[in-house]
Amino acid sequence: MNKYIAGVALASAIQMVSTAAYAASVNQLSDVRVRQAIAYAIDMDTIAETLLEGKAIAADSMIPNGAWKTEGLNKYTYNPQKARELLKAAGWNTSQTLDVVYYYGDQLTADLMVAMQAYLQDVGIKMSYRKLEGDVSAQLGKLPKAGSQTSAVKWDIAYGARAALALQEYYNGYQSGKSSYTAGTKELDKLIGRINGTVDVSAQKQAFADFQKYENQQLTDIPLYYQQLFIYQSDRLNRNGGAYGNEQFNYDWGILDWTVEPDKDGKQVLYTNTAPSQFFEHPWLNPGLNVQSKVGFDHLLTADGSLVPTKGQLAASYQVSSDGMSLTFTMKDGLKWHDDQPLTAADVLWSIETASKVPGINAVFSSTFDAIEGAKAFVDGDADHISGLSVEGNKLSIKFAKLDPNMLLTFSQFAPLPKHLLEGINTLELQQNSYWQKPIGSGPYKIAEVQMNDYVRFTPFADYHAGVAKIPEIVAFPSGQNDANVLKNAAAGRLDFGFTKSVGDVNALEAMQHMKVIAADIPYTRSLRVNNYAKKP
Amino acid sequence: MLTFVIRRLLVVLPMLFFISFLVYLGLELTPGDAVSHMINPDLANSISEQQLLQLRQNFGLDKPFIERYGIWISNVLQGDFGHSLAGGVPIAEIVFDRLPATLELSFVAIVFSSLFGCVLGIFSALRQGSWSDSSLSVVGMLGISIPEFFFGLVALLLFALQLNWLPVGGRLLPGYEGLWDRLPHIILPGLVLSLMMTAGVMRYSRSAMLDSLSREFIKTARAKGLPQWRIILVHGFRVALTPVIVLIGFRLPTLIGGSVIIEQVFQWPGIGNEFIAAVRGQDYPLVMMIALFSVLAVLIASLIIDLLTALVDPRIRLD
Repeated sequence: MNKYIAGVALASAIQMVSTAAYAASVNQLSDVRVRQAIAYAIDMDTIAETLLEGKAIAADSMIPNGAWKTEGLNKYTYNPQKARELLKAAGWNTSQTLDVVYYYGDQLTADLMVAMQAYLQDVGIKMSYRKLEGDVSAQLGKLPKAGSQTSAVKWDIAYGARAALALQEYYNGYQSGKSSYTAGTKELDKLIGRINGTVDVSAQKQAFADFQKYENQQLTDIPLYYQQLFIYQSDRLNRNGGAYGNEQFNYDWGILDWTVEPDKDGKQVLYTNTAPSQFFEHPWLNPGLNVQSKVGFDHLLTADGSLVPTKGQLAASYQVSSDGMSLTFTMKDGLKWHDDQPLTAADVLWSIETASKVPGINAVFSSTFDAIEGAKAFVDGDADHISGLSVEGNKLSIKFAKLDPNMLLTFSQFAPLPKHLLEGINTLELQQNSYWQKPIGSGPYKIAEVQMNDYVRFTPFADYHAGVAKIPEIVAFPSGQNDANVLKNAAAGRLDFGFTKSVGDVNALEAMQHMKVIAADIPYTRSLRVNNYAKKP
Repeated sequence: MLTFVIRRLLVVLPMLFFISFLVYLGLELTPGDAVSHMINPDLANSISEQQLLQLRQNFGLDKPFIERYGIWISNVLQGDFGHSLAGGVPIAEIVFDRLPATLELSFVAIVFSSLFGCVLGIFSALRQGSWSDSSLSVVGMLGISIPEFFFGLVALLLFALQLNWLPVGGRLLPGYEGLWDRLPHIILPGLVLSLMMTAGVMRYSRSAMLDSLSREFIKTARAKGLPQWRIILVHGFRVALTPVIVLIGFRLPTLIGGSVIIEQVFQWPGIGNEFIAAVRGQDYPLVMMIALFSVLAVLIASLIIDLLTALVDPRIRLD
């Protein structure tokens, strides 16, 4: 009898150990029911109202609200009971603790982690959270070996944001072999192929709608909230009808017609921030984030506030072939750089070739440039030039090897750089070139003076192709978008224009009588990236 | 004295070498490197491992630690301080561009704190046990205990934003670059930085003065019928000055790195801000040079203090 009891006990122990070992190796987050349970468990509406002070919108898709959002998506409205049922059906192992990581250093993120922990605990999911330090990109983005179903990253869930220039950016990362947290499938690749494979707007919208429905059911990312951008300006600044839009990028904001009332010293100076502390950032990663990128560089095309390309800027005209596989720009006559050298189609061609070899440029730009005929051979060093690019007089022709739905968007944001100043640079050290101590640009304002880490002074470019800007001087201080100096400088009358995503700053700016805050909807979605590979390391 | 100076200078070199190795090792042990800070985490999946490797090779970050340290120290010994990995700016240019701003701030803080600290310390010692002595002791304790960023924010709120007397921060404004124009910018950060130091100097000079006043030579001076001011300043304070000089002297080099918080609060473009940015970005050539510069400043200050104390106090012999 004793032997029988001992045998049963041993068998049970073996089974328990095996179950635990299985649970440890199999990633339960690969079960869609667990991901859905997490979405139901978090009351994002309450978090948006409380922690985010009503300055964010609960998200039901990675795609922001607006023309491209499809209807009928499951909002995963807070339902802890439903979450518990899904977890039970999925056989959730309550002894495991989810490892949640994030990379922001602000208090709001830490508070959000505490709130999420409480919500998940309520439905029986334990989570711990930690801020990633050191090589964050590698910790977030390390890819598994080709064909492997075992994740190469250690975390279960990563809290992060996706600020998209083109909506495809929300989904292109899910392609097979490109994501650190979701295994590619044929179905996903097909959906991605559809959103990238057409320039026909109605077909593209349908493709996005189908992707959103798939995403809404699968929850590869669990969308949390849409963040707004807040543009602030003082009562000294008058944009004279200039549009408001996505300030993180470039659009036709009518800066030539902006005016500013004299300050207390009688000077007509516009004060702003985002000046550099050691060097000007090149505009090929964040094309419109810093003041120099915004006012110092022009683009072939311009866009409206929603970043839809509308007309030529440096280009007098452009033509897209009916199949979308070639694009021709005709440059305006008499264009000049700020050093009075001519700005030609050759500058644009050189800039595209150079950018295609610079690591870490904007993902939309690299998608466009990679799609040009002969780009790969050039990048691999097998050709001296990109065969799909050619210049004839003031015309630049681009032939694509594959369709790129965002080619016009790229050329509304991509700033050509002066070939005569940068030719022959090491493309791995673009940012380290001394040119970025006082860059020569093509935009409506040129740099008049740089007191690095003190201020930068801009004055109107007299030979600007569209006329001379009315504000005679812009002074930018090296204060970031979201640092503590925004409020101090605004209160002291040393900040007439800027933008922020910090909800705490917005409330304080709104309380200042001389400041006005305008909210702008932007494609910026915060989400939980769920590591749903079948196994974890 | 010359032998003393030469001997001390000879000790400085191996110390610098050893400290530079420790700092380099510390940077090596920190997770990540300069390239990992160049890539936005949101772009984690947009840049290939091959491209990351190319970047690391380009900046020499793929080499083993010892080899990298060897290359760095050999370059430094040849006078090549290298370039910032983030922006490519020569290190010497960055240091000599930012250093004057920090030295300005440190100079103001040292002058104010030494002056006020010594005067208040002497005053307090001469009125030992009185209500004014007790009040100054309380103020001194508060000055030492309350963090300087708090004083900084209060000063900003009061003098820059409420009363509008002084600028909210920065060091220069376009068109206002003369000495007189720049003076208002340094008042708040300079005074706030000196506040904590004043409290320390005051307490130090008070106890040194009390100690000095109880010595036999003070009685002798009084017996000789010397005037009170001469007894206090020439006989008493001269002896009391030795520990105070040590305190002030050692604070000067630490102000180069120690003014970081004030530089941040007042948007002061000094070396402290640069150091923080360099450490965050793991820009090792810049971190190394700023760290070495600070260490060198401490070692030289220590030498100067020894020389000064020997000059001030005849009882001290350098040999």
